[in-house]
Amino acid sequence: MISVTPKTLTGIAPKIDLTNLSPEQVALDIKNLNLYYGDKQALNNITMSIPKGQVTAFIGPSGCGKSTLLRCINRMNDLIDICKVSGEINLHGVNIYDRQVDVAQLRRNVGMVFQRPNPFPKTIYENVIYGLRITGEKNRRVLDEAVENSLRNAALWNEVKDRLFESALGLSGGQQQRLVIARAIAVQPEVLLLDEPTSALDPISTLTIEELINDLKKQFTVVIVTHNMQQAARVSDQTAFMYMGDLIEYSDTNTLFTTPKKKKTEDYITGRYG
Amino acid sequence: MDNVIVGRHISGQFNEDLESVINQVMQMGGLVEQQLSNALNSVSENDEGLAKRVLANDYQVNQMEVSIDDSCTRIIAKRQPAAGDLRLILAILKTIADLERIGDEAIKIAKVALESYSGKQQDLLVNLDNLGRRVLEYLQAALDAFTRMDVDTAIKAHSTDDKINREYEALMRQLMTYMMEDPRSIPQIMSVIWSARALERIGDRCQNICEYIIYFVKGKDVRHTTAEDFKNL
Repeated sequence: MISVTPKTLTGIAPKIDLTNLSPEQVALDIKNLNLYYGDKQALNNITMSIPKGQVTAFIGPSGCGKSTLLRCINRMNDLIDICKVSGEINLHGVNIYDRQVDVAQLRRNVGMVFQRPNPFPKTIYENVIYGLRITGEKNRRVLDEAVENSLRNAALWNEVKDRLFESALGLSGGQQQRLVIARAIAVQPEVLLLDEPTSALDPISTLTIEELINDLKKQFTVVIVTHNMQQAARVSDQTAFMYMGDLIEYSDTNTLFTTPKKKKTEDYITGRYG
Repeated sequence: MDNVIVGRHISGQFNEDLESVINQVMQMGGLVEQQLSNALNSVSENDEGLAKRVLANDYQVNQMEVSIDDSCTRIIAKRQPAAGDLRLILAILKTIADLERIGDEAIKIAKVALESYSGKQQDLLVNLDNLGRRVLEYLQAALDAFTRMDVDTAIKAHSTDDKINREYEALMRQLMTYMMEDPRSIPQIMSVIWSARALERIGDRCQNICEYIIYFVKGKDVRHTTAEDFKNL
């Protein structure tokens, strides 16, 4: 039972029952998801609902399936030949693995940011509007607005507004990662997937991105994979602990990091031998 | 063998840090228990020297509180404990604050031994001693439960506070009767009242320690809950 009433410094937070969210509260509904790389099963019957407008973190040791699960959400695993998926991931009540789903459209709705910043060797401006260009947007005013809004939302505008037409490769690692986030949000996705977005960054850049994640959840549903447990504790509203392809525990972050229900979770987050 | 409370962290240094701080709490508990016992003996045996020793030893209790606080601060800063480790550190920090206050209450009791009492008033001190022995047993039970983080003992000991409160109220009624009968004895009886009050407060603090043990083991905050909630643990 994952029904909780977390106590917060400001009082009692609204009750969240992750097993019984109303359809309006759900961004992604994952049902009986299994994934195989060849003969090896990497995800075992995952069922969980990811709430809208919140940050959900996946944590677990290397090889537990957290990045695999994240990549399932925008079908990045389709690019791997030996990968086979069964089960459902529902976005607006439509299973994204249905044949008629347009994967390009899905990936516009579900943006993704990776571990290492990967700006294109173009100007900062062109990087941000790359997605819009692909969709055929040519109106200069629309593009200018998108650049400013996206860079402001990614907390990068003030640092780059005077050099929008310089190469993105001249930015620092932390700035590049925020640029990539700006590029991802320029196409106004509903869900933003972050795969260890700060593991290649210094602590100050990490904190800037964490602060950004907190702002982003006002507009997007954010799902983050992180090896840094303190980061999951700091930025997420819900945390899912995975181990060897199983979803071991999924609850609100306050509960999971203070009173986890499962021994495996306790052992992992306290750094004990399992 | 692994410490049952600390378990077996991948970081051996973290294990050592936690074990060290637990050992310090046990030492502090032993010292506070000794202080209370000595304070009670100084009153029952009218031993001024022992009472002065209790007063003099209080700085050790205070020093231990500061030292354990410091160790916990370092653990939080360096290890960012979570889940059971976090609850353990919180339980320790709260327990030592209560232990330090129990040490302060022991001093109030020892000060009674420094006053002079008439023969009739000695009877009152016997009643105070009875309450004191019960409170000392309660403290020993709470510390024993803490040493083993034994939630069953803590739950059982938790209810002792009600019995202590009833004895305290009976003693207060008795003391008021004495004051009405002989107003000249009021100054001495006031000292006994302060001691009785100190013992009652120690009972409350022992109850707090039991609650911290339950918090650590079960992850449930049982402070300010009803007896009904307590039964459902």
